[in-house]
Amino acid sequence: MLHKLTHSQSCRDVTRLLSQGEDRSLSWGERIRLRVHLLVCRACSRFEHQMRVLRLAMRQYRE
Amino acid sequence: MADAAFASQINVHRGYLLRVARLQLRDPDLAEDVVQETLVAALSGSGFSGRSSLKTWLTGILKHKVVDAIRKKQREPQAVASFGGLDAELDIEDFDALFDDRGGWDAPPADWGDPEAALNRRQFMEMMDFCLEKLPPNTARVFMMREVMELETDEICKELTITANNLWVILYRARMALRQCLEQNWFAGEGRPR
Repeated sequence: MLHKLTHSQSCRDVTRLLSQGEDRSLSWGERIRLRVHLLVCRACSRFEHQMRVLRLAMRQYRE
Repeated sequence: MADAAFASQINVHRGYLLRVARLQLRDPDLAEDVVQETLVAALSGSGFSGRSSLKTWLTGILKHKVVDAIRKKQREPQAVASFGGLDAELDIEDFDALFDDRGGWDAPPADWGDPEAALNRRQFMEMMDFCLEKLPPNTARVFMMREVMELETDEICKELTITANNLWVILYRARMALRQCLEQNWFAGEGRPR
């Protein structure tokens, strides 16, 4: 089950979901798939961190 | 409150407002007009309560002026020419080059570490400007409307007559491009493990 969950989601899909998560509320299923993938994927975890930095940078830009 | 001191305080933010307007309108003259209108409105109204920062308040006025300018522009017959090229910017295939056939990373993101120090540096914000200016016009417009003007997604869709799906694709594009630009120009060399 876990294996199926992590592999049903490619890194490319995860980056798209992480971006969309800033603009719409993700479904429960999407959030679960995202979390499970991020638990096992270091590259996507870094990407998530980078998106957070970008968000903070834009806040700084505005303020 | 429209005294010389207030006017000069407002003028401090002129450069910022102009950059933000330019990124959304891609028309230097129009951006100049819109900022001028914003400053006039700021000086003539008595709206500044001090509850938000002056910059935030001015950005709020600019937002309305920019949206008005976009509306006007879209009613012009040559609107397709000035706001065109959206289809090309909706193509996300070029970012697929970052991924292999199965959607795994070809060039995994680097560790950006703790960016707090960077975020407080003026040079970092200059780099943000550089990266924002490199975005394709429609992509920059949508990203600025979302992240700087803080418009809701449905408002942006309505003003630009695009679908929610188009919006997500454009914002994804913008974030991917900015990420790449910052990684190459700012974070490169900070222990990239490749």
